Amino acid sequence: MSNSGMKPVSDLVALSPGVRGQLTRALALGALGGAAGVAGYVCVAMAVGELFAAQPSASALAWWISFALVGLVVSFGSRWLAEQVAHHASFELEVVLRRRLADALAKMPLGVVQRLGSGRIKKVMQDDVAALHNVVADAMPFFGAVAAQPIAALIALGVVQWKLLLAVLLVVPVAMISFSLMARDYAAQRAKYNDANENVNAAVVEFVQGMPVVRTFDDGRTSFRRFTDAVEAFTAAIGAWTATSRTASVFNKLVIVPLPTLLVIAAAGVPMLATEWITAPELLLGLLIGAMPIEAISPLMHLTNYVNDSKAGAVRINELLAIPPLPEPSSPKAPQGSAVSLTGVTFSYSTDRGAPVLSEVDIEIPAGSVCALVGPSGSGKSTVARLIPRFYDVEAGSVSVGGVDVREMRSDVLLQHVALVFQDPFLVEGTVAENIRLGKPGATDEEVRAAARAAAAHDFIVTELQDGYDSQVGERGGRLSGGQRQRVTIARAILSDAQVVVLDEATAFTDPESEAAIQDAIARLTKGRTVLVIAHRLSTVVDVDQIVVLDGGKVVERGKHAELVAANGRYAALWARHEQASSWGLTGSKEVKL
Amino acid sequence: MKRIRRLMMLAAGPYAPQFRATLRISVIASLVQAAAYAVFIPLLAALSAGRFGEAWSWVGALAALVVIEGALRVREGAFTYDYWHLVTGATRTRLGDRLRSMPQQELNRRAAGDLTTVVGSNVTSAATGISSFSTLFVQLVTVPALLGVVVLVVDWRLGLVLVAATIAAIPLVRKLRALSNAGFRRVDEANAGAASRIVEYVQGLPVFKATGQAGADSERLVSVFTHQQEANAVSNRSASVPVAALQFLVQVAVVALVTLGASFVLDARLSLPLLLAVVVTAARFAEPLGAAVTMTKLFEMSEAALSRIGSVLAVEPLPVRPGGTAPTSFDITFDKVGFTYDGRTSPVLHEVDLVVPQRSLTALVGPSGSGKTTVTKLITRFADPQSGVIRLGGVDVGSLEPAELLRHIAVVFQDVYLFDDTILANIAMGRPDATEEEIIAAARAANVHAFISRLPQGYRTRVGEIGSALSGGERQRISIARAILKDAPVVLLDEPTAALDTESEVVVQQAIDNLVRGKTVVVIAHRLSTVVGADQILVIDGGTVAQRGTHEELITRPGRYADMWSAQLRARDWQLPAQPASP
Repeated sequence: MSNSGMKPVSDLVALSPGVRGQLTRALALGALGGAAGVAGYVCVAMAVGELFAAQPSASALAWWISFALVGLVVSFGSRWLAEQVAHHASFELEVVLRRRLADALAKMPLGVVQRLGSGRIKKVMQDDVAALHNVVADAMPFFGAVAAQPIAALIALGVVQWKLLLAVLLVVPVAMISFSLMARDYAAQRAKYNDANENVNAAVVEFVQGMPVVRTFDDGRTSFRRFTDAVEAFTAAIGAWTATSRTASVFNKLVIVPLPTLLVIAAAGVPMLATEWITAPELLLGLLIGAMPIEAISPLMHLTNYVNDSKAGAVRINELLAIPPLPEPSSPKAPQGSAVSLTGVTFSYSTDRGAPVLSEVDIEIPAGSVCALVGPSGSGKSTVARLIPRFYDVEAGSVSVGGVDVREMRSDVLLQHVALVFQDPFLVEGTVAENIRLGKPGATDEEVRAAARAAAAHDFIVTELQDGYDSQVGERGGRLSGGQRQRVTIARAILSDAQVVVLDEATAFTDPESEAAIQDAIARLTKGRTVLVIAHRLSTVVDVDQIVVLDGGKVVERGKHAELVAANGRYAALWARHEQASSWGLTGSKEVKL
Repeated sequence: MKRIRRLMMLAAGPYAPQFRATLRISVIASLVQAAAYAVFIPLLAALSAGRFGEAWSWVGALAALVVIEGALRVREGAFTYDYWHLVTGATRTRLGDRLRSMPQQELNRRAAGDLTTVVGSNVTSAATGISSFSTLFVQLVTVPALLGVVVLVVDWRLGLVLVAATIAAIPLVRKLRALSNAGFRRVDEANAGAASRIVEYVQGLPVFKATGQAGADSERLVSVFTHQQEANAVSNRSASVPVAALQFLVQVAVVALVTLGASFVLDARLSLPLLLAVVVTAARFAEPLGAAVTMTKLFEMSEAALSRIGSVLAVEPLPVRPGGTAPTSFDITFDKVGFTYDGRTSPVLHEVDLVVPQRSLTALVGPSGSGKTTVTKLITRFADPQSGVIRLGGVDVGSLEPAELLRHIAVVFQDVYLFDDTILANIAMGRPDATEEEIIAAARAANVHAFISRLPQGYRTRVGEIGSALSGGERQRISIARAILKDAPVVLLDEPTAALDTESEVVVQQAIDNLVRGKTVVVIAHRLSTVVGADQILVIDGGTVAQRGTHEELITRPGRYADMWSAQLRARDWQLPAQPASP
């Protein structure tokens, strides 16, 4: 059944020669199983045929029966073994592919990874890889049997009695054609179905996530209609698909079953036997093995859909593996010092969409100084922050760290020099110590503690957490509060000793007490380092060495706070807004007496 | 078996009668099929005896049965074509209804991803289980059973061989089911672990790359992948033993039957034609049983899907106590309210007493985890408190249908959720029968009309199409317009400006001023400066009301509020230090 649609799957299997070898064995074992089953039933027929002799020989009978037993046991034994081998191969292939994908992700631009998103990547790495199991483990042994069993059965029939073979040959091709019609992947219909399916899934996600809103507004009437609309569209798409495949499928249900073939053999057998063209034992053989070619196909009928799912998954895996890696320099340079500069940087996320996100941006951040980026949302602040650790390569101009173009550094070296502290703190499942130590594997306990102290995290770690540094933080740090997570990541950055810090300042802190602690931690992290901070609240950047105001991807102003306020431009306007916002407060209706 | 049948009927929902009819057809078709195989007995007897005329009539009978069975199978299969999609539609609608009516707490407890799987792929597997696997199962079980009976009638001694094999198979099948269930659980756990590590890997890639822990040899990944492979292998291996034993049993039974039959023929205790017939029949006995074993996994997949659907459909909505009348005034009172989240042991609220007078502003402040948000959640019947009573305008909220209750309340959350629809539709959600003028007026009051008018398609712009182009502040103002349109007497605000940058803050603040005018307002505030003008400030700490009063009263008293206030003044004046540039 190696139809052309299998290429994405076989490409993936080819990535692991070991798995490929095992699958070949599984196919061979499946084939052996199919053939031995035929042989077993031939022996059963021979045993019974012996009884037709005038003087049946008990020993011949015993031999045939023994052969039959051996044949049948070998048949099921090798099929069973084929399944074991195929499953083993499939599990191994899963690990091979997942590690390949991990490698591809590590090599592609970080920005591309970020844009793909952890949800989509998880789906490919986990679900699509697992779906290959349908083809590799479940279908492979059948493929062997499908190839061998019909051939063995037809040969056996031909050798024993070619006339009965003629009868069977009337049916088998019809069944084969019918099956291949049904197994055909109706690509267009399938695409429609997949679209409808994705829409249903999106509607479900929206319905579930938006539920708090849904409930407080319209009791879900509007959103429920959106949900039911998507469900109905799916229902209609399926209706259309099944209507096209109905005939082929119904025909299969009628043809790919043993009875019609047996009926044909019986109907042919009566006149053949009457004219003594064939003998009764030969007819028995026909009845026993004539339907085996058909029986071999029937399990595949139920697997077809699963196999098509696998193929769709394989396409997505190949797509992810095909994303080109970020080019690494052939003779890498090491950064000297920690100055950061952007020179004439122009960048857009995709080439076909209008104005670039950044155009001709020049920013010089001398070693050990603090530069704040301010500007409205969408002005390009975060993009600048992403270009320094080379999440993307610039279109024009250059970004350099320590005097070296980031494209001339190995990307791991660059990331060792640049610590990223983003709004959404990243923690791994494990202990607090493990999380801090991520910044510098092999750091001593003393170093970890010192970093925690500097990040104002030591106190809460030893007093508030049950097991101190060995406390589990939970999945993505879920057992810690937002402020605590923030400080653990700052401790990690301090430990890493990176000389450049890119800081996306949080807009909101969870509670006032930890806000003060986080501020202390940031002050210690930035001390003596080169810092680029994306500032959302202007009050925090009044004192920095340099403020760069971005608007529409261009630098519109730069200077110190006092200069910029005096200049009465863009920054001065932002500052006025800031002052206004800080003085806002909700007021009660004073007539109410409490 | 009964459980699966019940679950299938539940999932078939309005199509249960058609499904039942299909199962009946399936049973009849299997009877016909067994009868067709049984015809081989007289057919082969007639052939062996040279009675070809009679043989022809048996062939005729066989042909008739084949045609009848075919016709029945077509009708059985029609369910797949006529109802499969309708079953998925109806089940999804019912699941959606359940999601809408189940307590919000229950909804939050189940991860969104899980629910998506239930409503998404589990529904299709369940429908396939109903439409295809159930009838396949009927066939694979009924036909061998009937053939066993036929052999028993022809020759009870040979029949006993098949009966003995069947009896021996029962514990093996039980064992197989138990083992594969245990295996499924183990594999599920390993999969969940791997999935979460993958997400972690993707999110932490910059850190991992910097420290050489990224790539094919990433220890954190390799260890979970290896564990996953082991779980798969162990589960597969343990289930494979009973499978092997079952297959072996079936083959041995066939050979034993032939051996025993042949010896009977040699001793002239059985006629040869009957043996022929029995052998042909026995071969038909073995094949479906073998197929049933290999299909176990598919059966179990749909069973698991059915169970998960059943568990969602089984969640009851919050009970509504009798005696509820629509509230006519809108003060809120908590009377000794105690609340513990499902699955936790320590209460999050403890004998909370509070009064929010009508048309006043009450602020809830306190450290994170103190129970502020729980207070607002309970007002909306997110869940019912275990003790005490919450009243709206003197009416116990537990006696109001959630929909009736929520008619009087507008909520503005910190995280705004907009639907992938037009901006107009998103605002209109606040009051589905509002006119376009009213919607625009609400947008004006929410300070977002000018922004919307600048969009190329104005109010008809779809949120999904401009998605990321909407800033947090714009999204927040659209959600406030929705709340203004609703014009509910009670407004709950959960840190609505916490996540905004300076630029958006001012306009959002003005929008909020328009929303809360003349309403009964409860606001959760982190920045104390925003609520100094509140009529009443409640300091929630450790699940109780630790302090209450106006700002002026509270800052003069030593206590939690005064501490928070001074901590916040310090934080507000904090600045990133300037650094002397290195030489």
